[in-house]
Amino acid sequence: MTEERKKQEAGSNSRPLRQSLKEYARGITGGLLFSFPLLYTMEVWWAGFIASPFRLLILVLVTYQLLLGYNRYAGMHPSVSWRSVMVDSVEEMGIGLVLSFCVLFVLNRIQLHEMALAEVMGKVIVEAMAVSIGVSIGTAQLGDEEDEEEDDELEREKEPLRFGMVVLATCGAIVIGGNVAPTEEVLMLAVEAQPYHVLLMAVLSLLLSVVVVYFSDFKGATGRRSGNLAFELTLDTCITYLIALAVSAAALWFFGRFSGVSFWVAFSQIIVLGVLSSLGASAGRLLIK
Amino acid sequence: MNKKESQSSGEEKDIKNWFEWTVFGLSLILVLAILGYLGYKVYHHSETPPEIVVQVWPSPSENTPNRYQVQVENKGGTSAEEVRVQVSIRRGGQELEKAELHIAFVPQESKREGWVVFEKPASQTDSVVARVISFEKP
Repeated sequence: MTEERKKQEAGSNSRPLRQSLKEYARGITGGLLFSFPLLYTMEVWWAGFIASPFRLLILVLVTYQLLLGYNRYAGMHPSVSWRSVMVDSVEEMGIGLVLSFCVLFVLNRIQLHEMALAEVMGKVIVEAMAVSIGVSIGTAQLGDEEDEEEDDELEREKEPLRFGMVVLATCGAIVIGGNVAPTEEVLMLAVEAQPYHVLLMAVLSLLLSVVVVYFSDFKGATGRRSGNLAFELTLDTCITYLIALAVSAAALWFFGRFSGVSFWVAFSQIIVLGVLSSLGASAGRLLIK
Repeated sequence: MNKKESQSSGEEKDIKNWFEWTVFGLSLILVLAILGYLGYKVYHHSETPPEIVVQVWPSPSENTPNRYQVQVENKGGTSAEEVRVQVSIRRGGQELEKAELHIAFVPQESKREGWVVFEKPASQTDSVVARVISFEKP
């Protein structure tokens, strides 16, 4: 950004229209980019009318929390106040709702005359939550090169926060694991797997997490962490995997995969989905930070 | 740029223009409306089992003169999965022929439509009866 432009912007005391349009365009692109797989998945449409209003309400509230967390730790203006983060999160959710409605309408998944309001609302809300997380990531990630220099300072400020890492890992796990969570395939894999397959899946997830966490977070960043490397690595991997399992369980619960199944089947499903979510929590976290 | 400056420039960037405030206002209305709707639904929600009503009427076409249209409506509070509807044509109380219709999902308070086709011509029948044989809880 040139000095002149900076001065101009400071003078007008608000962001120019062109810049905000650009940001919305990025958000919309990201929203669609990350959520198109879900917009094209029939289990997600079904979830819209199967889920009870209570589940939908929880989904909206949890998504808002995630947006708050993501915008605070990785969002478009990481330096700004909580008030501003809350405002941005509401905007992203609004954009998500409108986008989700438009895409579902174009795909003929909602018919305003024949369908009950409950069905239309359910479908739009479930899809909109995925879209709004995509909007948030898109706004933060598909940014200009010029912003990045300024953010160096902020990056350093953000780094020591383990809580920030937890939030990003949760978002990463949802973005990657969420695409698969609604499908029947998770249940099929879980039911057909032998116990040793499930064990292998858990080991694979942990190995992936270790590799990703080690090579990305620790190599080349030795100055940052002074403590014992093995301890840090183990702690990070454990936290990452636990987050991945928790996110998997929450997603599976939302899509009603736990109703009427034995503990073992529910557990296997969490491990099956955990392979993806753990990669999301470790690698996805690095992609979207 | 030191830390203070960076923060103050961050705050300046934070100031929204009229367009962003409009988007925010509309989004807030939308999100609050959704929360209000869901809150209302949670409060008034009753897990009543699916209540499926079937209607059937003749709907002949050039190629399928013995076609009947079936409309399935779920008036209950929960969705029904794998709904099977049996339609039969009768004459003088005697069943002449029957057909079955499978519908994957009938969400609560929603309608789904389908068609069944018989072999016997409509002129031979005096009544048509439709009933739901079975459905699942999703």
